[in-house]
Amino acid sequence: MDAYANFINGTITLFSDPMGILIFFGGVVGGMLFGAIPGVSMLTLAAILLPFTAHLSAEHGIMLFSVIYCTGVYGGAITAILFNIPGAPENAPTAFDGYAMTKNGEAGRAVGAAVMCSAIGGTVAAVIMMLATAPIANWAISAFGPPEIFALVFFGLAVAATVGAKTLWKGWLSILVGLLIAVVGMDPVGGIERYDFNMPYLLAGIHFIPTILGFFAVSEIFIQAEKKATGSFKAPKISVDFPSLAELLAHKVAVIRSIVIGFFCGVLPGIGATLAAFMGYNEAVRWSKDKSQFGKGKLEGVISSETANNAATGAAMIPLLALGLPGGALTAMMVGVFQMHDMEPGPLVFLNSPDLVWVVFAAMFFANLSILLVGYLETKTIINLLRIPFQFLAPLILLLATVGAYAVRGLVIDVLVMFIAGAAGFFLRRSGYSLAGIVLGLILGKIGEQTFAQAMQMLHFEWLGFLDRPIASVLIAAAFLTILSSIYSAFFKKHAQ
Amino acid sequence: MRRNKFLMTTASMLAATMFSASSAYAACATDGLPGTMAKPGGFPERALAMIVPYGPAGGSGQVAQAMAQAVTELTGVSINRDHKPGGSGTVGMTAYLAMPTDGYTVLEHIDDASSAHALDSGRPNPAEDLIPLVISQITFSQIYIRTNEDRFTDWDSFVNWVKAQDGKATIANVSKEGSMERINMKYLTDATGMTIQQISFDKGAPRYGALAGGQVDALFEQPGDVRKFLDSGTFRPILTLLHSRPGVFADVPSLKDAGFDFEPLLRFRGFYVHKDAPADRVEWLQWAFQKGFCEPSYQAFNEKKFMNLIESYRDTAGAKELITGTIAQYRQVYKELGLEVK
Repeated sequence: MDAYANFINGTITLFSDPMGILIFFGGVVGGMLFGAIPGVSMLTLAAILLPFTAHLSAEHGIMLFSVIYCTGVYGGAITAILFNIPGAPENAPTAFDGYAMTKNGEAGRAVGAAVMCSAIGGTVAAVIMMLATAPIANWAISAFGPPEIFALVFFGLAVAATVGAKTLWKGWLSILVGLLIAVVGMDPVGGIERYDFNMPYLLAGIHFIPTILGFFAVSEIFIQAEKKATGSFKAPKISVDFPSLAELLAHKVAVIRSIVIGFFCGVLPGIGATLAAFMGYNEAVRWSKDKSQFGKGKLEGVISSETANNAATGAAMIPLLALGLPGGALTAMMVGVFQMHDMEPGPLVFLNSPDLVWVVFAAMFFANLSILLVGYLETKTIINLLRIPFQFLAPLILLLATVGAYAVRGLVIDVLVMFIAGAAGFFLRRSGYSLAGIVLGLILGKIGEQTFAQAMQMLHFEWLGFLDRPIASVLIAAAFLTILSSIYSAFFKKHAQ
Repeated sequence: MRRNKFLMTTASMLAATMFSASSAYAACATDGLPGTMAKPGGFPERALAMIVPYGPAGGSGQVAQAMAQAVTELTGVSINRDHKPGGSGTVGMTAYLAMPTDGYTVLEHIDDASSAHALDSGRPNPAEDLIPLVISQITFSQIYIRTNEDRFTDWDSFVNWVKAQDGKATIANVSKEGSMERINMKYLTDATGMTIQQISFDKGAPRYGALAGGQVDALFEQPGDVRKFLDSGTFRPILTLLHSRPGVFADVPSLKDAGFDFEPLLRFRGFYVHKDAPADRVEWLQWAFQKGFCEPSYQAFNEKKFMNLIESYRDTAGAKELITGTIAQYRQVYKELGLEVK
């Protein structure tokens, strides 16, 4: 009841102030726009706006960032679906089936599903955030240490190996290539320099955003260009039909599962929306009776990924607000906004500034809802970009991707990485390897290596120490079961046929 | 003999560091500099660029933003920050050295640049290959425990408890071997004879979460970075790695109280320009950044980050002395550790 009254008060405060309304809608539109431009992500917008928040009230500054966070994660889905360019890493799994749907003439259904599921995932997470921020945050940091996070990463990789590749071995090889790329640069434990070939820029490692842009956007342009050259190119059919409510209801299990996964990943500091989206997608594949349709334009793929990544946004606010622990780059910038106003996120915020907290909660709730409205309008208009002939669209996409790759760190090497990944992706896709597996190996490899080393230090280098920690043991057991069952499926069933 | 001289130099540097915060406020360090300075040949005619070798949300990103704001308030010249994180500052330093040496690009860097040069003299020496414009943050480290901890309550009981765990006790620390944090921990473990497993976290949030969530027994950190946890009563310090007690931490034992005589390494952040930049431009930049330190917005920022507990200011000469002394100290420790010093 208290939460309800506080929410109403937060809502009244938010919408009774013209400046607040202006900032709210500015954040909604800005987040969606910057989220939709590859490389120039919501982080770019946040970094630009950070100094200006000093001139806003604390409520407005923090509210602006939280709204950008919600809508920015959704915005990246649009280009992922229409052009195979994920606006951000957390939209990469959306491209697997979303872009395939576009090629099948179902862009409207895909974007519509992304709109509705982003709104649902984010809104539900916002409600849970309002009801139980402090206990969830304390549970997360107590229950999930490095051994548990490593076990979660291991489980994620085990599932990912079964998705997207032609054979199990190619799935695992894809994961291993990603893990290998992840070890380039300084090791996260002792600062040892690895595979830098005396190039200082490689010490920073291979960033996953240029890799994603190369694998998805550039390789796709190569493939379509080849088709154009050989005369087999077909322009995608344009459709602006939204999915029906009945269609979404038919996927209610996938939506609920992805909300749980997204929320769970989001609440763990350092994990966040990217793993949430991949895990949401992977679990959808795992529990599907018809796995072969994933990657070919299955609506459930878009639903699972987009529900999970937006559910993670609300969850990521929990450790930030309750404990002062940012889970990712954007929440870390929010700490900066707090500090500009002589505040620190953490338990004291709830005591000292409850009004601010509830304005932020209300803003996140309504930002997720507003995805429905703004996203609907966007769907009816932006899909028409597909009408641009390929010979004009392709250079535009290449330009955007190049800007996006460079914008990550301002390093030319990232542009080179993007084009190398593009060329590699062109051949790997023909050979049945999973580009998603490589990307996930790259992203999870860095987290996994670090948490594995931390876990071994904590367990005094005794492997069996994992078994003393119930959550880690369950996740590792689940990972091994996944591996064994996939081997069984790949070999024994094949021989039985 | 050389060692004694070195230690005395370091000790005198630290003694100079022990100015109180209040005196820094009453008369700010650069009050003696002129309030305005003519632009040499019109420099700067356009916005300056600042390369920051770390992300925007961390300590370097924040100090870069605060100093850029202060210099802009003072001079009206904009400063565009360009973050190039990675390789413990190596990527940003490499990118900076590739920039034109016209004075339009400055660099933010921390003591990691000194430790990198100490280990490998092929890496740039911040006191010789660059000109320090100002060191604007100097701080010390502390050992923290959870406030609700009941296995130990103070430094002595913590050391006794750690010794009783036979190497199983844990402390969250940064990951890089040879870093300021790791060297200070080596000093502590050598001085106490305790064995404690350091858990490597390269980012702050997971490091603090590990202590708050009970994944580790203690935390090594600087007070400004964990101020919110101190203010909320989640963490409390049990040892200050200085030889005297700063006023804010008057009830926390210092190294001297604990009976240690080693000289702790300090964290420092500052701003640099390439040594080949034109002298008149360097002089203007020195004035702008040193005056920027005393701008009210920057002073407020430093106060918020607990950077006013010891003297945080060094001009160019002071910065060179601090960097040179720090490099010598790192070299000595690296040799003692058996690391290959190039």
